[in-house]
Amino acid sequence: MKHAPAPSSRVSRRRFLAGTGAAIGAAAFGRAPAAIGQQVRELQVWHTEVEPQTVKIIQDTTIAEFERKFPGFKVKQQALGWGDLNTKLLASLSAGNPPDLTHLNPFMTASLYTKGLLRPMDELIRALGENDIHEATRKLQYFDGKYYGVTHAMGATYFCERRDLREKKGLKTPETYDDMLKLAAALTEEGRYAFQMPGEKLYMGFVHPAEWMASNGGSWVDLKTWRPQLNSKSMLETLDYLQKLNKFQSQGWSGQKYLDTQAALATGKISMSYLSGARAIGYIEKYAPENMRDPEHFMPMLRPRGPSGKVGISALDGENWAVFSQSKYPTESFEFLRIFYKKENYMQYCHSVPIHLSPIFKSMLGDPAYLANERIKKWKAWHDVMMTGLSKGSFLPLGFSRPEDNLLPFLAELDGSSIVADMVVEVMVGGKNPKAEADRAQKRSEELLTQLGHKRWS
Amino acid sequence: MRKSALVGWLLLAPSLVLLGGLVVFPVLYNIWLSLFDKHAFMPVQAFVGLKHYRYFASDPEFWTSFYYGSVYAGVTMVLQLGVGVPAALLLNEGFRGRNLLRGVVLFPYMIPTIVAVILWKWLLNDSYGLVNHLLMNAGLARPVAWLGPDYIMASLIVTSVWQFFPFVVVTYLARLQTIPPELYEAATVDGASAWRRFLHVTLPQTASVLFVIVLLRSIWMFTKFDTVWLMAGDGGVSRYIRTLPVYAYARSFTYLQAGMGAALAVIMFVMLLAATAVYFRLFRSDEVFS
Repeated sequence: MKHAPAPSSRVSRRRFLAGTGAAIGAAAFGRAPAAIGQQVRELQVWHTEVEPQTVKIIQDTTIAEFERKFPGFKVKQQALGWGDLNTKLLASLSAGNPPDLTHLNPFMTASLYTKGLLRPMDELIRALGENDIHEATRKLQYFDGKYYGVTHAMGATYFCERRDLREKKGLKTPETYDDMLKLAAALTEEGRYAFQMPGEKLYMGFVHPAEWMASNGGSWVDLKTWRPQLNSKSMLETLDYLQKLNKFQSQGWSGQKYLDTQAALATGKISMSYLSGARAIGYIEKYAPENMRDPEHFMPMLRPRGPSGKVGISALDGENWAVFSQSKYPTESFEFLRIFYKKENYMQYCHSVPIHLSPIFKSMLGDPAYLANERIKKWKAWHDVMMTGLSKGSFLPLGFSRPEDNLLPFLAELDGSSIVADMVVEVMVGGKNPKAEADRAQKRSEELLTQLGHKRWS
Repeated sequence: MRKSALVGWLLLAPSLVLLGGLVVFPVLYNIWLSLFDKHAFMPVQAFVGLKHYRYFASDPEFWTSFYYGSVYAGVTMVLQLGVGVPAALLLNEGFRGRNLLRGVVLFPYMIPTIVAVILWKWLLNDSYGLVNHLLMNAGLARPVAWLGPDYIMASLIVTSVWQFFPFVVVTYLARLQTIPPELYEAATVDGASAWRRFLHVTLPQTASVLFVIVLLRSIWMFTKFDTVWLMAGDGGVSRYIRTLPVYAYARSFTYLQAGMGAALAVIMFVMLLAATAVYFRLFRSDEVFS
């Protein structure tokens, strides 16, 4: 039996294969020369600024300029959530394939430095203007006479308060723990709590405890012996204060998140959010009643100090750029940073989330071109609070109880261990005895540091 | 004969290689890892023998996690049976819309865990959650902190039961549909009430599947990680639902002590093995499986 011949309009298999092959060939050979003769090299850049407009600015300014300058390179930026950064970085290091350039949390840097995983960047720092970099960040990654990091931008954290409600009560911003308790009592009203803390353990179990200790003359560990100080007088006074303070917030706070507190503030359910930064402005402008979206109603408030402290300390959010010793393209990574910090690029970067991304350069902080941004003009009072805090030394990097904590190689493990978070929750929410809980945390942290090989005390 | 044996082994080889690589090797590697003080990511390790096991024997955190894990696994398993078996019995009856309902009942089991947990956390939120909203409309004076320390375990159990009871329904229903109707007809002729028919026909006929359901669900709930972690893993309140899998994860990836995390995994493995052996000894009978 004969097959009927295929109609002429049909494509035969041979023709189809030939056509497809030709198309693939054309696609392959028609691409940019880099695809054939020249290998495209990829510069991996990880950072923590996940706002879409920031990602776009980096792409349109620094990356575009870099790729023009280095035609054989493609830059792949990856914006990672704050909480994901450490785990992903450590996993990539373990796999021997870290990014070329990355943001690091300052409390991680010492740990990586001591393991010989970072490259010094003195030349870059000098090129950027060593003395123009703000003192609050300049030497955070300075080990054994060399720089191993440079902060990308500074963002202060603080309370965000309903200023109008406080002023109605005729109260000043609190200077001490006692003032804070009085303010919280005054601001607790039917249907509105005085404040709310974020329930994430990164904050309530690490960032805030560091602030509490710093604000009350304490520290994570003894500077010489590295023995933990979780049951010190400073911490016990703080736990006592926290137990009292807890009455003025929702009892479900430990199961809620940072963003829940921002929403609660913007919608009038609380009078103060415990953790805030200039990012809160976005929430206020989106969710607060229209006639209240201004600094007359919402203002930052710096932390109070404890009975044993001299000045209230707030955390300064500011990851540093770092180049790993395993980086495939270290020279290009440093070049990328030079382009990133070029004034015209950097200004746009800082303006992508105004005030939250405050420049690290002293000359730029008061620069009229920087201050001319519309949001900075409207929320200038917030910028001023940041400047006041910087000048008074009210800030320490996230998780630091004192400047020397940049030398501690175990803060990431302490943060991850939940030891401090458990203590805080048991005392604040569980109503347990502060001394007993502090002693338990002390014992656990001593065990942890011993297991990690950091025990220096006898 | 020898040639056919060789062919047999050759045919088995791919499966053996896969099983060895994907099951046996990871277990053995984990046991080996548990004997080391090993950093989770850095190439730093030292042999410590059974030190981790001795440590956990007197570690209050371990025993607290064991307690929370047992409560969670036990209560959720009982409630899944309590909800799933009656639901399956109902869906085995003939009524209008039965097929639709059979599909709907699978819904919680089909959606991703992250969606289920976000949904329940949204419902239970004490600031804007629907549950508190309804309760306060019904006269409750203050919102209940469902996600706070006092109720977080209950909230987790409700979420888990909602998510996993369809497994019981599907499995049990499948067995129900294979029971010969003659058995029920004979029992009815003998004057057995509905309860008696359930007790003397349905229950014995479904004993084998109940045995398997209890075994599987207990193991799965005891080792459940994702639901528990998503409910409160990164929150201060996680202290009150820190089950053993979460504690093992924390030791490995947040304390960065991979050796200790591996030791916890081995301990869980041994616990489940022992519990399964006891369970088989107590409840398995040849009649059930005949």
